Amino acid sequence: MKRFLFAAVVALACCQAGAGDVRTLTGSVTSGDEGAMEGVLVSAQQTGSPITVTVVSDEHGRFRFPDGRLAAGHYALRIRAVGYELDGPQAVELGAAASDVALKLRKTTDLAAQLTNSEWFMSMPGTPEQKRPLIECMSCHTFERIVRSTYDAEAFFPVLKRMAQYANNTTQARVQSRLAEREVHDDLVRKLAGYLATVNLSSGPTWPYELQTLPRPKGRATRVVITEYDLPRKTIAPHDVRTDAQGHVWYSNFVENFLGELDPKSGAHREYAIPVQKPGSPTGALDLEADGDGNLWLAMMFQTGLAKFDMATKTFQLFPVQAALDNDAAQQSMVMPRASGVDGKVWSNEVAKQSILRLDLKTGTYALIDPFKFLPKGRLHAPYGMAADRDNNLYFMDFADENIGRIDAKTGATTIYPTPTPKSRPRRTMLDDQGRLWFTEFAANKLGLFDTKTESFKEWEVPTPHTYPYDVFMDKNGELWSGGMASDRVLRLDPQSGQSIEYLLPRPTNIRRVFVDNSTNPVTFWAGNNHGAEILRVEPLD
Amino acid sequence: MMFDCGWLRVAVVAACIGIVPTLSHAGGVGFGEDDANNSDDGPSYFGFVREVDGPGVADAKVTAALKDRGALVTRTDIMGVYKIPGFGKDINPDDVAITCAKDGYVQANVQRRPRDPSDTKDPVEVECYLKRK
Repeated sequence: MKRFLFAAVVALACCQAGAGDVRTLTGSVTSGDEGAMEGVLVSAQQTGSPITVTVVSDEHGRFRFPDGRLAAGHYALRIRAVGYELDGPQAVELGAAASDVALKLRKTTDLAAQLTNSEWFMSMPGTPEQKRPLIECMSCHTFERIVRSTYDAEAFFPVLKRMAQYANNTTQARVQSRLAEREVHDDLVRKLAGYLATVNLSSGPTWPYELQTLPRPKGRATRVVITEYDLPRKTIAPHDVRTDAQGHVWYSNFVENFLGELDPKSGAHREYAIPVQKPGSPTGALDLEADGDGNLWLAMMFQTGLAKFDMATKTFQLFPVQAALDNDAAQQSMVMPRASGVDGKVWSNEVAKQSILRLDLKTGTYALIDPFKFLPKGRLHAPYGMAADRDNNLYFMDFADENIGRIDAKTGATTIYPTPTPKSRPRRTMLDDQGRLWFTEFAANKLGLFDTKTESFKEWEVPTPHTYPYDVFMDKNGELWSGGMASDRVLRLDPQSGQSIEYLLPRPTNIRRVFVDNSTNPVTFWAGNNHGAEILRVEPLD
Repeated sequence: MMFDCGWLRVAVVAACIGIVPTLSHAGGVGFGEDDANNSDDGPSYFGFVREVDGPGVADAKVTAALKDRGALVTRTDIMGVYKIPGFGKDINPDDVAITCAKDGYVQANVQRRPRDPSDTKDPVEVECYLKRK
């Protein structure tokens, strides 16, 4: 058993205003075209601070930073309003007196630089079948690099072939190659290359289609405060994020072998090094889950196996997969330890074998379970998001297909439940205390509910097309919170009424696992920006 | 009788439940790799859940179970129609038990329509009848 390494303790500048240090920043946003503008995100970042606070202008074009969030000092200002850029002022000095700034916006000369992946999806011509493979591209980069390229179909072909050999835990800041070559069908690559050459700049200096944009936030969607915590290295890729009882934020790093901890109150950031088990294999972890004792577990991706982090001793215990199951392609992306106290078993998955793993904590060995063994061969399956009930029965998402699966902890019997929407690709999930499994239907652009008691489904369309929700969380008020890699928006949806709010985020934001802290009122949403090396806090004001 | 002709019956129910499009697999990972290879597919299972001598029962649970191996579970639509994609071709359809359930009902009986055993893709039509408790 390897012990943990206390790799880094990085004290970030503390930007929370202390008592007696309260500064008020208010202002207005106007443009020549629209006059007073609603739904403009206004962000303030103090010089030298890793923390950025963002508010949104109301229907009168007014904005106000909450009292106590900004200390005296020099702040850079930035805005987000598609189609516009900040003419000025670019900064403000907060002193003893309250500041009121009048922000002027001008039309942007580079609209393409502002488009989200969702907006590119909306803009690009093509059939759903042609666009569908692109939802994989978002794992590593935005569409901007595709649409700004000048490759023709022939030039795209080797680029796509090369990219297929990158590990899925790759970001632009840290590219990682797979050790085991992945088979890719040339005809599919040619098809995609041909399509991409019709939507990029290979045929001229401008795009042969109109760029479409989503509307700015309005109404309740402007009543929010967003805080971004920059992490100390660009290579940090926060994937799964959750808070503990002390309000500290813990995250898995998708591309480096560290577990991260952030104290949002002080800004202090720490990293705990996870020993590298397979030198040369891609590093980083994906799923981060708590067991019944509050200890954290990580699924170690291509490093294989699971890691348990003892919250009291701050040490790791590693559970490598046995040699018979390990190879260069082996990959554990998920872990579900929540009910392991019942039977001493922890659930995981083996991505390369489209199978479930079950770790016996007594022996340290994994059992391989093929939950699809009675289904037709030749179909792609991928056990992904996991939840366990109080008896440690497993529920899992079949991310490559359209199923939710259940494995009985005692008998091992598998039950497969096809989702009502075909080709839905269920992704991440949570089980609430009423036995309801909330999940995202990534490819179907829906949120789903599977009631484990009645074994029945319900589905809700995500309001913005091409959002491709990654994860969903049911809060204490019965509202759903979701995010993904495409829209730069956090979705808040009331499943009873179907009403929803979408909070636009200040920067391009690649969201994976989402988490809601129910201890605050209103609740607080947390996520990582997987490609942006930041932790994100969204505080609705109602 | 509306469904005296077996093939007509299959065609009408299949049209109701969209059997043809749903047999063409679900999205892949990578570069949109669809599972074009359906050669391992066994037959699908479909039919109505009805009250005995009555109408179709909506939102009834239908289970296609392989003893000691696992099960596929779905629910009926508003007409009482269900469709289960099916198992692999190595699974003998005779080993698959279709059952149905809904709160307030008990299962009365199950009727399996005759099919051509030589056609491994020939969908299996099973009617499941419920009676009120």
